[in-house]
Amino acid sequence: MSAFRFSNEPFEPAGARASLANPEAGGYAAFEGWVRNHNEGLAVTRLEYEAFEALAVKEGERIVAEAKRRFPILDAACVHRVGALGIGELAVWVGVSAHHRDEAFAACRYIIDEVKHRVPIWKKEHYVNGDSGWVNCERCAEHAHEHESSPQRTQPDYSRQIALKDVGPAGQARLRAVRVLVVGAGGLGVPVLSYLAGAGVGTLGIVDGDVLEASNLHRQPLYALDEVGRPKAELAAARLRALNPEISVRVHAERLDTRNVVQLLDAYDLAIDCSDNFATKFLLNDACVLARKPAIFASVYQYEGQLQVYRPDEDNACLRCLWPEATRDGLVGNCAEAGVLGPVPGVLGSLQAIEALKLILDLPGQLRGELLILDLLSLATHRIRAPRAAPCRSGTCARITSIAPMTETPADLEVTFGSLAKAAHDGYAIIDIRDAREVASAPMTGVEHAHIPMSALLEDHHALDPERRYLLVCARGSRSRATALELRHHGLPRVFSLRGGIAGL
Amino acid sequence: MATRTIHVQYYAVLREQAGRGAEVLQTQAATPAELYAELRQRHSFGLTREQLKVAVNSEFSDWSSPLKDNDAVVFIPPVAGG
Repeated sequence: MSAFRFSNEPFEPAGARASLANPEAGGYAAFEGWVRNHNEGLAVTRLEYEAFEALAVKEGERIVAEAKRRFPILDAACVHRVGALGIGELAVWVGVSAHHRDEAFAACRYIIDEVKHRVPIWKKEHYVNGDSGWVNCERCAEHAHEHESSPQRTQPDYSRQIALKDVGPAGQARLRAVRVLVVGAGGLGVPVLSYLAGAGVGTLGIVDGDVLEASNLHRQPLYALDEVGRPKAELAAARLRALNPEISVRVHAERLDTRNVVQLLDAYDLAIDCSDNFATKFLLNDACVLARKPAIFASVYQYEGQLQVYRPDEDNACLRCLWPEATRDGLVGNCAEAGVLGPVPGVLGSLQAIEALKLILDLPGQLRGELLILDLLSLATHRIRAPRAAPCRSGTCARITSIAPMTETPADLEVTFGSLAKAAHDGYAIIDIRDAREVASAPMTGVEHAHIPMSALLEDHHALDPERRYLLVCARGSRSRATALELRHHGLPRVFSLRGGIAGL
Repeated sequence: MATRTIHVQYYAVLREQAGRGAEVLQTQAATPAELYAELRQRHSFGLTREQLKVAVNSEFSDWSSPLKDNDAVVFIPPVAGG
């Protein structure tokens, strides 16, 4: 029998249970969900289940397959009722056979939880007072405590997008079934998360290890000033649940790293890169290439941005096809140092949301095999063809064979000083690595130093003395940190970076 | 040596350092690599060409492929802001 099926009629689990029998099995665990006579203080007389069956069966089968992969079990199955059910009737059955009871219980629990969260099933409850209301099952599972007592509460209404010929009810069901991982809840992440939640994307994962800063707000209007200092992933999740209580929002309040990336990505169908650094972008890129999952990348700089879509099934370049190994954080500008106008990530994030919806709904005109560059000052767009590099065409990227460990930062790389005079007194040779224009507008005075712009220093690093201690200084400490790290790789162990840069003095 | 007319576009930090988004040049540079070396000197660009991508006529190009008269060349630095 199929691992997941629907039944229009009352069913006896005995047959399904027998199908799990295995001479190796030392145990069997089952869960039965029954129709109860009340929900949130209202007496229920009967209910109806309705499912988008084609999609729901696929998702259900996927869940059972996941359970078999995750837990060392022998077999598992799930049957869900649809149609009209009375009080006490069997609504859902999950059975698992395994060598040992622990795995059987764990897998059984996993299957019922995931079915409740992910399988598109709606429940219409009929109340004693004659009212009735459609309830999303996932909503029952995750947000029961948030429910108001009235069954009349406002439901999400997707009619404006369902009205689109290419979306329709089938498109809406696709949105509901899809699981999207959004890495970064900042300038790009805010529009991505907001639009995808509004559209009814069934599962949204938010990865962000940062807390809100006041300087974020001009480009991240999802948040509020009195929330500064709180974890952004949790703040975003609360807003999204209020925007659309029907969807499942999962919080991963951590930085994406080599240890968590594979497992995180495993639970999602599509990744959207809204991060602000190359290390994260390349890590997500590599994980998506290895897992053969699509990813939508965007980056912004001052008044412009870049957009790229990676699809494993197409002849599309991944990030490593485009950007050379020399691409390191700090060596090109970021929002903190270079500045950015708030709506710039807003526009690029909105474009990521559009591309995500086009991809999920299989709409025409998807960005494929191209890098889109957008200059929001001149409003010029530039599309540059970016086919997959020749050695990678046969399948996955030839350069990515495993998740590469991130570059370790030496603990002593950054040093703190109250004044540069103190640093000079302590024997550091001070090098101002800012570019000529920055130096002209805010010269460094009162202390002996050399001015060698970052790029010149990186190119002429042979001129530095490995025995000498150097202190690199820039505006805010990000470029000096990256440059010092790079120079240490070139065999200069005594190069240090002024933490916080000139702004931190 | 042949002189070519080349239409150049700059993005991100290159636009900032060049003080303009685009320019039309008469140059003897025969490849994007030679062209970038010339422009780097003129505009004091910080980035080395190893850190950039170059596109010629809306296709990513090799640094050593020959330039033709009236080619449109775009130098693109990677950006990471989010």
